[in-house]
Formats: sequence, structure tokens, C-alpha cells
Amino acid sequence: MNEILILMKSEWVLLLIIIIFLFIKVGSTEWKNENLLYLANILLLINFILGFVLNTDGIIFDEMFKTNSLICLEKNILNLGTLLISLQSYHWLKNHKHVAEFYMLLLSTLLGMFFMISSNNLLMFYLGLELSTIPLAALANFDLHKRQSSEAAFKLIISSALSSGLLLFGISLLYGTSGTLNLSEISQHLNGSNLQLFAFILLLAGFAFKISAVPFHLWTADVYEGSPVAVTSYLSVISKGAVLFVFVSVLYTVFKSLGIAWQNMLILLSVLTMIIGNLFAIRQNNIKRLLAYSSIAQVGFILAGISGCSQLGTTSVIYFILIYVFSNLGAFGVVSIISSTTGKETISDYKGLYKSNPFLSWTITIALFSLAGIPPTAGFFGKFFLIMSAAQNGNYLFISIAALNMVISLYYYLILVKAIFMDKNEQAIEKIHVPILPKIAMLICTAGIIIVGLYGEIYEYIFKLSFGY
Amino acid sequence: MSQTIFYILASLSIISALFVVFSKIPIYSVLWLIVCFFTIAGHYVMLNAQFMAIVHIIVYAGAIMVLFLFTVMLLNLNKESEPHKRTYLKFAAILSAGVLFLTLLAAFKSTNLTPYQLPEVNEVGYIQNVGIKLFTDYLLPFEISSILFLSAMIGAVVLAKKEK
Repeated sequence: MNEILILMKSEWVLLLIIIIFLFIKVGSTEWKNENLLYLANILLLINFILGFVLNTDGIIFDEMFKTNSLICLEKNILNLGTLLISLQSYHWLKNHKHVAEFYMLLLSTLLGMFFMISSNNLLMFYLGLELSTIPLAALANFDLHKRQSSEAAFKLIISSALSSGLLLFGISLLYGTSGTLNLSEISQHLNGSNLQLFAFILLLAGFAFKISAVPFHLWTADVYEGSPVAVTSYLSVISKGAVLFVFVSVLYTVFKSLGIAWQNMLILLSVLTMIIGNLFAIRQNNIKRLLAYSSIAQVGFILAGISGCSQLGTTSVIYFILIYVFSNLGAFGVVSIISSTTGKETISDYKGLYKSNPFLSWTITIALFSLAGIPPTAGFFGKFFLIMSAAQNGNYLFISIAALNMVISLYYYLILVKAIFMDKNEQAIEKIHVPILPKIAMLICTAGIIIVGLYGEIYEYIFKLSFGY
Repeated sequence: MSQTIFYILASLSIISALFVVFSKIPIYSVLWLIVCFFTIAGHYVMLNAQFMAIVHIIVYAGAIMVLFLFTVMLLNLNKESEPHKRTYLKFAAILSAGVLFLTLLAAFKSTNLTPYQLPEVNEVGYIQNVGIKLFTDYLLPFEISSILFLSAMIGAVVLAKKEK
């Protein structure tokens, strides 16, 4: 009994917070939005801190739920990202009618991701995945009066239903050929028969949908544009990160014996994702769409790292996602505050932002530099390790395509930076008062971007925890 | 004997599924879908899962299909309103679906599947046994699905509630 409490402590804490909000909502006293938001952020902070204590290894519930130091670290990264998003969305949620519901839905998706990461059974994996996507569709519709928001929710639910269908078909074929749902037993029953390969391709397609790798990316831009900025940043950082964590561990441990098959598939997917993500990002004028395509391109780089098939691959992916949390949330934090105060979301609106809002301009610039991978920021080190991992195969054509894509991506990030610092604008965005909580979040992001790159111990620590191929 | 029943049921479910897709009138699609669900329930019975079969009929063919019918009637979809697709799109869709089907067929053909063995216990699908399994081996997935329903319910309430 004690074991269940300790091994599942992150899940218990999240469930407790969800229930607290449920009782607040059902209870008779009306809470002020400000108080509710402060309470939520304090609870999330406690949740984040509790992630560092009592980390033990173990497998419980008939090998359905497993946990170890690496899984705890991944959960901590997700906790941190959720806390940052919660701090950033303070300004938007302050005038929203459904704050308690927002947190209930947000945290239940996080709970789903935790179960997904900890799953050692395909049934648990599937349930966790559903729990992490279905409430997200409701969250995408949280700008209740906007049609675009409903459209985003609809597209999200339809596309995730399609990907769940593919995934379930793959799981059922896998179950039919191996006779078990337990992941460690499946890896023993893999014999590389054609049916298992087919099942694996279906599973891969389901995963690729969730991380929006290129042939399966069509929903991304519309959903990101229509959803509220807080939800967009959650979709692009947290839910993508969680699926990527599972993706690496499933590929490296369960489908290891099919390695020759999926390595080439990953390289192809990665090249397509980088090129198409970058080329489409150049054409965008809406900043949310730009960040959507940029996040697609970033996934291409992550896939390149995964295709390395070594301990370096695991480490670089987790390290990059940690950096990606900081850099993408730094950019989205600024977009969020500008969008919720002025409603402006196009690149031309950002012209001359530096004159009126130097703090916001510097925050978004550092974040964009990190996304582009310019040396003193952490993004450079993240991409460096990813490409180093990809280079282990000796496929130098692939590496050069990746390097070329870094140059292309620099172009559209710098367009935005140029608009902020150099372009003149008569109707520039006026001085925005940034509330204290979003400001803290932006400072944390900026600090993270600089520290994670320069402080090498973090990479060493992740390397020590992560599993090899 | 059971093999004959299986083939009859399987062909019925495929034919009714095809009618769901090919019917021009939405109401007919929904009605064919009910037939399809009944044949699938028959498959459950053949797999010795009687409880699943009954639940499937009650929930899918009963509750969900009634909702479907209501929606179709309320939206007055009872006419052809499908937008016309371009020819090359149709051609590409047929081609890729055909290739997928061929790959699946080839994968099935070239793989040796071990024959299905009936479980030794005959009462496998009874409610009691399903319940025991749910609350012992599958306790964690069972509880997680309850959280899933809770959050889906909260989401639905937020979206459906009228703005004051």
C-alpha cells in the first residue's frame, strides 16, 4: 500500500489538485479569479517541488505502471512547463469565467501524460494518451466566443480521433501477433514478421500525428492559430514533449529488434519535417502560425537525434526538450501577453515593439535566438547534441540537410527580430503593463535559456540517468 | 459450425459497413450502422464474451445510435449535401487506399499466425468474471478511465453552458 503511494506520488498530487478545484467549483462560496489563480500557481509550485523528493524505482499493478529516476526527471520537466504556462496565462485567465475548469482540464491532461510516460502496458499507454488529448480539445475551445477557437477544437478532436484509430489498429495487430499487451513481453515476442512491421508502421503513424511530423502535420497550424495562446503553448511544448519521451523509450527498448526498419523511416520523416516546416514557416504572417511551423521544424531536429540509436540519442532528446520548454515558452509568454491585452497577432503588429516594450522585446529575442540555435543560448547546445547523435550513423548527407535547415530557420526568426528592433511603425503596440506572475515566468525562461546551455552538469546528469540503445 | 457462423457474420458486418459509407441519405447510413453493430455483437458472443455483446448493443446500438438519429433529424441533413471532390483527389485516395489494402493483405498472407485457442474456462464472459478481472488485474486502467470520463464531462459542460 505504501509502495503505491510513493511510486505514484506525482499522480496522486495532481489528482488531489484536480479534486481541490472540483470542490472549489462545486462549493457554495464564489472565489475571486485573482485568488483562484494565486492558489493554482502555489499548488503547481508545490507539485513541482514535490517532484524532487521520494524518487524511487519500481513496477506496480501487474507491471502496468513503472517508474524510475529518468521518468521522474521527465515528469519534472513537464511539471515545470505547466507551472510556467500557468504563470504566463495569468493575464488571460484573470477575466475568464471558467478558471477552475481550465485548471481541472489542464491538470487532467497532465495526469494522462504522466500515466503515458510511466506505462509499461499498451492499454495504459492508450488510456494515458486519450486522457491527455480529449480534455485538450475542450481547452482549445476556451475562447468561447470565437468561432476560430471552436474550429481549432473540432480539428484537434477529429485528427486525434484518426490518429487514435491508427494507433489502436496497430496495437490490436501487435496483440494478435504477440499475445500480450505488456511492453517488455512484446519486445521478446518481436520476430520481425511482416504483420508486426505493419503494426509498427501504424503505431509510428499514430505517434507522428501526435508530434506533428510532416505527412501528419496538417492539423497543427490551424489548431495552434485558433486556440488561446496558453493552450497553444501547452500543445506545442508539453503534450509534444510527453509524446516524444514515450516515443524514444518505446523505440529504443520495445522495438529495438526492428531498428533497421525504423531508422530509415525516421531519417525520411525527419528530413521531410525539417524542410516543409521551415519552408512553410517563412510564408507565415501570423505569429502563432509561425511558431506552429517552427515547432514542426524543431520536431524534425528531434527526430534526427532519435535516429542516432545510442545513449547520446536519448540524452540529447531529453536535454533538447528541456531547452525547448524554456525557449518556446519564452516566446509564447510574450505572444500571450500581447495577444491578451491588444489582440494583435501578426508580425507587422510587432514592428517597433522595442521602442515601447524593451523588456518584452529582449525576452522574445533571446527565446527566438535559442530556437534558432545561436551559440551563447542553450538552443545551440541542444541542436549540437542532436546533430552529433544523428552523425553517429555516418549519414553525412542527412547531417548537411539538417545543418542547412538551421540556416533557413534563422531567416524567419530574424525577420521577427528585425521587425521588433529595426522597423518603424506609426501604430506600434503601446506600453504594456506586465503583471508580476507572467514577468516571473519570462525571467525564469530567460534564465533557463542561458543557464541550461552553459552549465554542463545538467547534460551530464541527464546522460547518467538515460538508457542506451 | 462456428466457422460458418463466423463467415456469415463477418460478411454481413462488412456489407453493412459498406452500406454505411455508400448510402447517400444520412438516416440510412445510421440505420445500417445499427446493423453493423449488431453483427459485431454477434462476434463478441462467438468469442465467449456475452457480457460485452450485451453492453455493446445497449450502449452503441441503443444510446449512441439514438443520439446519432436525433442529430441527423435535428440538423435536417436528409439530402445530398456532400461537396464535390476533384477528380485527381479521388484518384489519389483510391490509389493510396488500394496500396494500403494490398500491403495489409500481403502482410497477413506472409505471416504465420498461430490458431486461436478457446479459453479453458467456459464462463469467461460472465459479468462476475469480467468484474473480478476489472477490479484486480485491470484496476489501474479502470480507475484512469473514470478520470477520463470526469474530465470529458467537465469539458462538455464548459462548452455547452450558455454564456450569461
